[in-house]
Amino acid sequence: MAQIKNRLTPFFENITFDREDNELVLNFGPQHPSAHGQLRLMLHLQQEQIVKAHPDVGYLHRGMEKMAENMIYNEFMPTTDRMDYIASSSNNYGFALAVEKLIGLEVPRRAKVIRMMLLEINRLMSHLFWLATTALDIGAMTVFLFAFREREYLMDIIEGYCGARLTHAAIRIGGVPLDIQDDFLHQLRVFLNKLPQNIKDYEDLLDTNRIWLMRMEEVGTISTEMALSWGCTGPMLRASGVAWDIRKEEPYELYDEVEFNVPYSDKGDNFARYRIYMEEMRESAKILYQTIEMYEKCEKDGQTELMAHAPKYISAPKLDIMTQNYSLMQHFVLVTQGMRPPVGEVYVATESPKGELGFYINSQGGPYPYRLKLRAPSFWHTGILTDLLPGHYIPDVVSIIGTTNIVFGEVDR
Amino acid sequence: MAQHKVNYTQDGGLPVALTSIDKIVNWGRSNSLWALTYGLACCGIEMMASGASRFDFDRYGTIFRASPRQADLMIVAGTLTKKHAEFIKRLYDQMTEPRWVISMGSCANTGGMFNTYATVQGVDRIIPVDLYLPGCAPRPETLQYGVMLLQKKIRANKAGNAQKAKRLM
Amino acid sequence: MRAYTPKDDVQAKAYYTDRYYVAPQVPKSEVETDEVFAADLEAIKAKFEVKEAYIQVEQMVVYINAHDIYGVLEFMRDELAYTQLSEMSAIDWLAKDNTFEIFYQMLSMEKRKRIRVKYFIENGQAVDSVEKLFRSADWSEREMFDMFGIEANNHPFMKRILMPYDWQGYPLLKTYPLEGDEFAAWYEVDKIYGKEARDIIGPEIRDTATVDRYDSERFARLGFEVPKGTKITGNEEPHVDSYQEDGGIFLIKKYDKESSVVIDDPQR
Repeated sequence: MAQIKNRLTPFFENITFDREDNELVLNFGPQHPSAHGQLRLMLHLQQEQIVKAHPDVGYLHRGMEKMAENMIYNEFMPTTDRMDYIASSSNNYGFALAVEKLIGLEVPRRAKVIRMMLLEINRLMSHLFWLATTALDIGAMTVFLFAFREREYLMDIIEGYCGARLTHAAIRIGGVPLDIQDDFLHQLRVFLNKLPQNIKDYEDLLDTNRIWLMRMEEVGTISTEMALSWGCTGPMLRASGVAWDIRKEEPYELYDEVEFNVPYSDKGDNFARYRIYMEEMRESAKILYQTIEMYEKCEKDGQTELMAHAPKYISAPKLDIMTQNYSLMQHFVLVTQGMRPPVGEVYVATESPKGELGFYINSQGGPYPYRLKLRAPSFWHTGILTDLLPGHYIPDVVSIIGTTNIVFGEVDR
Repeated sequence: MAQHKVNYTQDGGLPVALTSIDKIVNWGRSNSLWALTYGLACCGIEMMASGASRFDFDRYGTIFRASPRQADLMIVAGTLTKKHAEFIKRLYDQMTEPRWVISMGSCANTGGMFNTYATVQGVDRIIPVDLYLPGCAPRPETLQYGVMLLQKKIRANKAGNAQKAKRLM
Repeated sequence: MRAYTPKDDVQAKAYYTDRYYVAPQVPKSEVETDEVFAADLEAIKAKFEVKEAYIQVEQMVVYINAHDIYGVLEFMRDELAYTQLSEMSAIDWLAKDNTFEIFYQMLSMEKRKRIRVKYFIENGQAVDSVEKLFRSADWSEREMFDMFGIEANNHPFMKRILMPYDWQGYPLLKTYPLEGDEFAAWYEVDKIYGKEARDIIGPEIRDTATVDRYDSERFARLGFEVPKGTKITGNEEPHVDSYQEDGGIFLIKKYDKESSVVIDDPQR
């Protein structure tokens, strides 16, 4: 068996031999337990203080935009799962909405309600995961275990719906593939009734915890100008004093029919972001209660359609495919060749748990998108570290990375 | 003085157990597999879930360590990209022998759905792999079963021998 | 006459298109139909040359000249309250007329409107960096350079961002294959083990239908693993050493006279 020699030479990045000044260069990542993935930071240190930070990304660049150009539209749907893999359905939804806008589809109301449920469940999952990992990084192991416990309940509900825990692919272009299962609403209600107490538990553990406050308050302050200039969105922007929530300002789906508040703060520090995540969980629960009512009303009104009717783009329901010749032919063409949206371009932004998730699609009338640009919020939330970290100390790096809530599937795509 | 007969062959008869070196060493190794926190992508989330409250990895003696120097087991959880490939080799070389590698998920096994320019087509092009877990992403139960299989595999080996070359290299 | 298709476009293509198929258009409407957009367009037109403007899917698209971009974005940010640059990137039209189309996606939170500013540049031409206006352009322009090879003038750190610094080729060009070129295929092997290891490690298996019988027969079961390259005849007994002997006591090995050794030499 041939043994091959390793060509890699040792790194000397930590030691610079001929430097005049007192700066130390510290390499952080790409394998670091609290880097939330594959972030690499080159930090220039003046003793404990950071004077220059250089984030290096791309360690999870998998070429999704290139893949999209070589895939039919429906084929790309499962790939979007792997972008923000903590809240997969929100990516599915962003892509589905962009294509629907491109071809001008209207989705049936029942599908809209189910989509909203999935989106909000995903938001809760994502925020719980954020809380767990950030707390773990800062040393609050109990919160990690608690938050993961609650997340598992949501995982079970989602799994009952689409069969997968993490990569859901639960939303299709033109609607949703399935109706919710029988005990979905019951399970969701049980969970939602429990959730306020759980959130209160986390807050009891953290809000007055001295260590938590010392590492969160007045650390990582982002001013409004900086947040706008860096393209921050979502909780990052709302913590810096701009109450901008796409669900509220440019409502999609049925968000204009539900009642919810947009929490925001003008402090801009880590603690403000933490508070916003906690409040958003409460608001999500509020929305979920309302969607349950909406779903029950749909059922009462006898609205059973789950997919839009557009034979040029969307396959007919399974029953039709199995019984009607024309539907079967249409389905065959759509699966083998793919739908051909009209020529044009569209940029659609949705509020994913991390911020503004945008899909820019340029279609030239073929079955493959000519250009698809994924606008992922975490990309800019990582970029802001360049300007945010200088002036802070080494222990603050971990808490700042934690509260920016970056996911590397999304940063590198 | 109380006289009693000690039956050496019954359990608890004597606080001494006889065994071979292989068994005692493998028993120790297989029940304290310390894994490196190497969550690369989506599978890393499931790896964390296996370590968290519901699936509780600690009962297998599997504790996540952040340093490769303290780890015996590398769970490659997620897509390995060409930019990262160099680092997986560095980290693998930094782990002390004996060391094992679980390739978790389709991306790490073969490149999976990411058949693109930026993805390494299987982590076994870079480092030898002991166990391949299918799935995208594998459930925590799969990872637990994988660790149990790896334990079985470790117990089947001779402890004294230098590690045999596994798959590649 | 048959339509010209560029030979170096290696992207996936529809294998069948009806000869008489005419793709429909996403409807465009006049800018005058929306008063906010109309006012904005008037303001931009007063200072800069606007080539074309229309509204498509609720957003205004404005085509301008390449050299105006810094001025237009500065004007939009300071006067028209388009305070955020959501996204910018390029589209490859090299096969059509040797140009790139650059788009800037602007957002005004005050007006709740989005405008897409676009212009064309020739292949090889650089764009003006707007990094001084919007810090987010710092990374977007680096990404654009990484993916298309379009450089930005006055950018503080014009290096690759997603691909490694020593990467060759620009992945999002239409001439770049999805599965990578020769350089990409051997990148990690060359870097870690050197070129001479290519033969030992072998080429990448990109065909998803490849099945190695021995992988599924020998590697899927415990105790069957063999090193790569071993000749397999097919009938070897697997050697599996059980950890716990049947009916035995925990950890204790049963005494077997046959396999035990009597040590005579005390010095051994």
